[in-house]
Amino acid sequence: MRALHISAMTATCAAGAGLEAIRKSLYAQVSGLRANDFADCDLSTWIGRVDGVERVPMAPSQRDYECRNNRLALLGLEQDGFVARAASVRRRYGAERIACVLGTSTAGIEQSEQAYRHPEDSNRFGSRLAHNPHTSTRFVAETLGLTGPVMTISTACSSSAKVFASAARMIDAGLADAAVVGGVDSLCLSVLHGFNSLELVSEQPCRPFDRDRNGLSLGEAAGFALLESDPSSSIGRLLGWGETSDAWHMAAPHPEGRGAIAAMQAALASAGLEPGSVDHINCHGTATPMNDRIEAGALRQVFGTPPPAVSTKAWTGHTLGAAGIIESVFSLLAITDQRIPASLNCVQPEPDWSDFIQCRARPAPVKVVLSNSFGFGGSNCSLLFGAQ
Amino acid sequence: MSIRVDILGAGISAPGIPDWNGLRAVLDGRPLSSECESPRTGLLSPREQRRAPATVRLSFAAAEQACGMAGITPGRPVAVFSSAMGDAELADYMCRTLAESPQQLSPTRFHNSVHNAAAGYWSIGTGASADVTAVSGWRDSAVAGLIEAVTRAVTGSEPVLLVVYDDCGQGPLSNVWPVDQPFSAALVISAPSASNRSLAHLALSASDSENRHPDLPATLLERIADNPAARMLPLLALLAGTGPAAITLAAECGSGLHIEKVTA
Repeated sequence: MRALHISAMTATCAAGAGLEAIRKSLYAQVSGLRANDFADCDLSTWIGRVDGVERVPMAPSQRDYECRNNRLALLGLEQDGFVARAASVRRRYGAERIACVLGTSTAGIEQSEQAYRHPEDSNRFGSRLAHNPHTSTRFVAETLGLTGPVMTISTACSSSAKVFASAARMIDAGLADAAVVGGVDSLCLSVLHGFNSLELVSEQPCRPFDRDRNGLSLGEAAGFALLESDPSSSIGRLLGWGETSDAWHMAAPHPEGRGAIAAMQAALASAGLEPGSVDHINCHGTATPMNDRIEAGALRQVFGTPPPAVSTKAWTGHTLGAAGIIESVFSLLAITDQRIPASLNCVQPEPDWSDFIQCRARPAPVKVVLSNSFGFGGSNCSLLFGAQ
Repeated sequence: MSIRVDILGAGISAPGIPDWNGLRAVLDGRPLSSECESPRTGLLSPREQRRAPATVRLSFAAAEQACGMAGITPGRPVAVFSSAMGDAELADYMCRTLAESPQQLSPTRFHNSVHNAAAGYWSIGTGASADVTAVSGWRDSAVAGLIEAVTRAVTGSEPVLLVVYDDCGQGPLSNVWPVDQPFSAALVISAPSASNRSLAHLALSASDSENRHPDLPATLLERIADNPAARMLPLLALLAGTGPAAITLAAECGSGLHIEKVTA
């Protein structure tokens, strides 16, 4: 398989809209989490809500796509000159040679939730285009004018990690020359009450890998990257990936981390790398007591002594179907900035992993980063990124 | 540039078309089967079948047939589950419960409402530890699933199971998903091989043309108009027929596929 480069990227999450805002939060150790103030939701928790999503203007031609997820997608596309970068790639290869592959878990369901709360409104559903899992992928493909393969991956929290693998296969098989990949997932009552019903939500800001961690904080995000084999400039390379299934339980990871271990090993094998080549790991690290313990155990199994590892979810909240792309961006920032961020809110790591979970940010030579994303249904994806 | 693959097995499950032989009968001009049995799976116990979401039974029924025809263990292939809406019944349940009594939300029904629920249950039911993924292209889900499955088949070393399925609309959500009949179809796809088990050799290429396929019985055309998952029917008919033929599966957004039956 040809080496693929990430030639442009952007992210919008609670920690900031665009890379400079996110860098600022990362360097200043400022979390984007806030006490829950999501409309019509009185749960006592902290959320990674993105400021101003409700007020993002949509053009009259975009009204059929009206929903929180597509406003967030639009806000995300506006950052870091991404639309212009996509346009220049479109001119170079032709619109029909560029794939658009995005991940999401709940897409436009918030729009459907609202329609159910207002049965008196005869036009409560509006256009069909917003009420389906594919809405934001189609919206982004149309907004960017891309006419190659258009596909949504929806495997819960691994969704927007898997987009890199699917797009790379499309390019390898000759269906595309380049791809816009990414993910968009917005807060909604389904996930706030859903995760709460599973007793996985913390009442405090989440504390991944801390010994007192007691659950996750939910968040929302949009992130995009351009993937191409021969770009004019490169941020980093996609070195390999591993995608596996736990074959265990719908909502709980395999107790020995079987699928997670297999995903990391498959990523290393596909990149032709030994575990010792990895300089830094961006963990899935949701901050639930069980998930962090199982992931840390899996890292121990694969790496022996793992390289400096962090979870960045205390900055963003768990952005579910967007977590893969947001953490891919964090991974690539570690390479471009030669700096490993802190595992924010981890004050006292458990002894089992205190030797490798990084509680403080530090400059470091970072050439290869592993990013883990694990989801409901036992869906695991590990990605390896390298310096260009 | 075209992608060449072998089809090793096929399956179908829909009201009146319970399996591959049922489809052949309809293609030969016979009426739909009058048996109204709900789709069955041999991979889950009767108790699990009752607990599992409807999309699990719907998608498994076609998937198991395709694996059986291909002569491969269901847990072996990488699997791609493609669906426009996922579980319409659970989406209706979630929206209704959140509107009426959010604190009553069932944790099991919440985690079963994810788009990859059928994929997850397939991995659990078959013991598949390879990737089992879930994609959507909304009304283009047949095209999206085929693209994901064939690119996996030709870039990997293992056969790939593709399942394209969608259930009917439920409750107020049928305003935006007006589908009356469930449908699922499955294929086992591999890179070209010397296998004499192959049902057909196909060449696929990106296309921006309109939908095009040889004429089909009216009962099947009605299904295609009703449920976007049934857009797999022209391809299944192509596989069931003898001699060379070609179809175009158009996409509303992005590239569609031109699919040609070729000699090896």
